[in-house]
Amino acid sequence: MTIFDWRKELNREGHKVAISGQAIAMHCHHYNINLQKTLEDTLGEKGVELLYRSAEETNYHSLQHLFDHYNKIRTLKSKLEMASMLYQNCGLGIIHFQKVRPNKAYIVSPSSHHVTGWLAKHGRRDTAGCHFTRGWIAGALEAIYERPLGFYVVDETRCKMQRDDQCVFHVEER
Amino acid sequence: MAIDVSKIIHAVMEGSKLRESKGIIPLFGVYLSLFSVNYYNRLSFDFEAKMGKAREAEAQALLIEAAQECGYATFQGIRNSWEWDQVVAPMIENKEDQILGFVAVAVAFGWGDLEVEQLVPKEKLVIRASDSYEARGYLEQHGLAQSEKCYMLRGVTGAFMDLIYGDDYPEGLYAFSAAETCCRAKGDTCCEFIARKSPYRPNA
Repeated sequence: MTIFDWRKELNREGHKVAISGQAIAMHCHHYNINLQKTLEDTLGEKGVELLYRSAEETNYHSLQHLFDHYNKIRTLKSKLEMASMLYQNCGLGIIHFQKVRPNKAYIVSPSSHHVTGWLAKHGRRDTAGCHFTRGWIAGALEAIYERPLGFYVVDETRCKMQRDDQCVFHVEER
Repeated sequence: MAIDVSKIIHAVMEGSKLRESKGIIPLFGVYLSLFSVNYYNRLSFDFEAKMGKAREAEAQALLIEAAQECGYATFQGIRNSWEWDQVVAPMIENKEDQILGFVAVAVAFGWGDLEVEQLVPKEKLVIRASDSYEARGYLEQHGLAQSEKCYMLRGVTGAFMDLIYGDDYPEGLYAFSAAETCCRAKGDTCCEFIARKSPYRPNA
């Protein structure tokens, strides 16, 4: 895709760093995983929900902004391509939108920042743990299909944090 | 030689545009991610809200500890990295310069316009920011705060002192702790973080 030049989109204005004009921060796996563990350990399911919702809402608004800005990106294929490029270029990992329909989707991630970070800090876990990525996917598809926040629910059926060979996500209407 | 902040920022910006085939950014000895400040602010402030008034102090302590432990591990990785050796180490003449190097990396990461206001070796570190993403985010999303809101920077300020004046890694964590003495989220003109030796150590 030549319309979206990633290297030009990541820049800074003084002390602020931005992607396409939206303020971002660089954080490493120590902080991201510490936040996840703090929320899970302290709030349980409510903490998991907060991680999911925060990623969903943030990515929804970020992608809406990008689609408004790059209005030549109109087709489903090009929007999915842009979303996965964004995921990769933000250092979040690799995501493959394998089967995507307006009411359901099947998505695979062979590597991710959160998986790498969790395994490095805590090793294998017994439950699927990619709450950030689940929320990120929900927000992406809601922005792509112009649905409201919360329209989709994303489940992770296999997870590399549990030592599965890849993370697998199933999306359905809520 | 003084610490050249712009050179460090340039190195981080260039490095953050390189990622390996798995979509991971290994830079300065850690795995970096780039994501909206709104995500981090929502996590912190909604976590605090969900914990409720009765557990507010516990929520704040957990967020600060998460950041201090992160800052301790992160900047330990950073100062042992190839990039640090190449870019920052040649500017460092004494122990205290390391803290200036850490602060320059934090500015490069987009955490705010941090400046070291005072450093008393082994005793005290004062960092100020007129625009931290936490304070800015709180003001934008919630309006004026009743208390200080920069939990991440508060924890990280303590971690900087832990790394320089605490026991050898990893025993020095929480040797220092920081207070946020004023915060833009409360309507102050800047955010100020003061790290001193800890009266207690959470994990001791």
